[in-house]
Amino acid sequence: MNKKNAPRTFLQFVMQVKKKYLKQILMHLLILAAVAVCVYPLIRILSVSIRPGDKIVSTDLSIIPQGASFLSYMKLLQDTNFLRWLWNSLLITLATSFIGVSLASTAAYAFSRFNFLGKKSGMVVLLSTQMIPAGMLILPLFLMIMKMNLMNTYLGIIIAYSVSSLPFSIWILKGYYDTIPKSLEEAAMVDGTGPIGAFYRIILPLSTPALSIAFLFNFTTAWNEYLVARVVLFSSKQYTWTLGLFELQGQFITQWGMFAAGSMLVTIPVLLVFLYSSKWLVSGLTLGSVKG
Amino acid sequence: MEILRSIIEVLGFVLLIAGAIAVIELYLYYHFKYFNKSWFWAAGFSVFSILVFVLLKTTGFYSDRLMVYAMIWEIFFLSVSKYLIRGRNYMPYMLLAPAFIGLGVLLFYPFFFEVYLSFHDLKLTTIMQWKQTGTIPFVGLRQFVNVFTIPPLAEAGFFRLLGRTLLWTFSNIFFHVLGGFALALILSELKIFRGVYRTFLIIPWAMPQVVAVLALRGEFHSQYGFINLFIKKSLIAFPWLASLGVAPVNWLSDYPLLTCTLINIWLGIPFMMVIILGGLQSISQSYYDAASIDGASYFQKFKYITLPLIKPVLMPAVTLGTVWTFNNINVIYLVTGQAGGTEQADILVSALYKAAFTYNRYSYSAAFALVIFAILFTISLLYSRTFETKER
Repeated sequence: MNKKNAPRTFLQFVMQVKKKYLKQILMHLLILAAVAVCVYPLIRILSVSIRPGDKIVSTDLSIIPQGASFLSYMKLLQDTNFLRWLWNSLLITLATSFIGVSLASTAAYAFSRFNFLGKKSGMVVLLSTQMIPAGMLILPLFLMIMKMNLMNTYLGIIIAYSVSSLPFSIWILKGYYDTIPKSLEEAAMVDGTGPIGAFYRIILPLSTPALSIAFLFNFTTAWNEYLVARVVLFSSKQYTWTLGLFELQGQFITQWGMFAAGSMLVTIPVLLVFLYSSKWLVSGLTLGSVKG
Repeated sequence: MEILRSIIEVLGFVLLIAGAIAVIELYLYYHFKYFNKSWFWAAGFSVFSILVFVLLKTTGFYSDRLMVYAMIWEIFFLSVSKYLIRGRNYMPYMLLAPAFIGLGVLLFYPFFFEVYLSFHDLKLTTIMQWKQTGTIPFVGLRQFVNVFTIPPLAEAGFFRLLGRTLLWTFSNIFFHVLGGFALALILSELKIFRGVYRTFLIIPWAMPQVVAVLALRGEFHSQYGFINLFIKKSLIAFPWLASLGVAPVNWLSDYPLLTCTLINIWLGIPFMMVIILGGLQSISQSYYDAASIDGASYFQKFKYITLPLIKPVLMPAVTLGTVWTFNNINVIYLVTGQAGGTEQADILVSALYKAAFTYNRYSYSAAFALVIFAILFTISLLYSRTFETKER
């Protein structure tokens, strides 16, 4: 800093700092406001969930209420089927993601490595399935499940979920397989494995990141699904957590605390996984769209 | 005990699927590999027929017609693999078969089943008959006429719902892009804490949608929700606000569509922000430096550098977002779906869902769904058209 610009008085110093940092400070303030808007509902849920039993419905806005307790959590776990709901969701979700990813991994390999009659039209068909509104297929699926006598069972809901994320998973995986050099498999084949062996020993281990993204995508889609579950499952024992929470929230006044506690228990793990993986999830999204 | 049973049930199902895939693969392998053996025809046909017969009998779907169809298919496929494919390049088809059979059964078949339904009359009074005999009365195009003449819900007719849907879609997308752009621009200018802010800002996207929507619905409650409490508290603090017309609002009963829109804007901005931020970071700084040397103002830089360069990233996201928003049943159903909930906020797809599962008008909603599909198809076609011409 040369002599001319050096601050002579304190006031000048403040002015200089202000000029330099005012824009930054303003922008930080703006972003902080946005952050507050984004985070506040979550904090509200937390604060409602730890309210003492007699004050669950109140006009209090403080974040940590007076006499905070974990009573709502205890009540939720004891009086409702919440753990059962979580368990149902977990089973259904794991089964659908497993089926979905295994089907997608082989199909994507075919699209990525082979030239065959109908390759282009197959890809177009996959893309066009994305245009079918999800709400449109609920009705025929519901009728099919009813006809097969699978209403209110795990199997019915797993069947309804299993292919819903398949096209997207195939796109992600194909994009990733394309980046793996073909020479790796050729080397393996020279050493004596067939195409299946090359896929199993080379491609699958190398594409664990993409496989986990596809798995995660399948998982979150099924985990957060509500509308199909609503029409297929109707006894409280078979509910997934989304149905359970909707029921708790429906009876606004009485169950508000339990609803908040349940929301907290479901949201925290999902949030952590999502924030951890969001970078790859987004790159997967754009990968698919750019290649399309 | 019940937990164990549920595990066995689901595991058994997954194994069943795996077994089915194995059978399909063996079936294909036989056709592609042994096509020039002398026993190819006889063995293939007889084994296939016996297996299909046993399968249909045990599952209770057996009918003579189905059996004949299966045999015709087998003759067709045997001759195709013997004279056309001849074992050439069979690998990709074997890899694709499980996925496409799954898609066929659970995506394309339902789609055509929906078309079938829309020409027939399936409702609560005929559903038992359909379940037992599998037949429903044929009514031709009447369901499609009904879609435009009889309102799907208690109040709003088709065209009002359509108008509401367009309003909903475009206002949401507009604010998603606007908010996403603003946040992304500010974030990309920040020198510190950028990652931390980004993490917090994607929380609405990361939260399970059911939780987010239900929680926000609670915040719009007229008495105990945060929004009205906030309005009341600020009225106490600044009494002069009352003279400006600021007062607590019955959000859920008086302005349900506005409430849903606000909630959905909150939910959708982070996605756009992340996409745009990614695009902004891929624009080389040297363009901006060159523009600065030429004396361009901030807005000139934005207009001539940022906007054109972000377009290829933004347009697919906007198209995708439009389709998503158009199809968004979740938000509206979760906010208004309780028994006795309002129908003031329903858009086409949520009306479809309610017509099918609250009012049990199955065939009507099948026709309704096809009409919605046609509209959506047209919109996406228009989108891609304008997108493509601008690219060239």
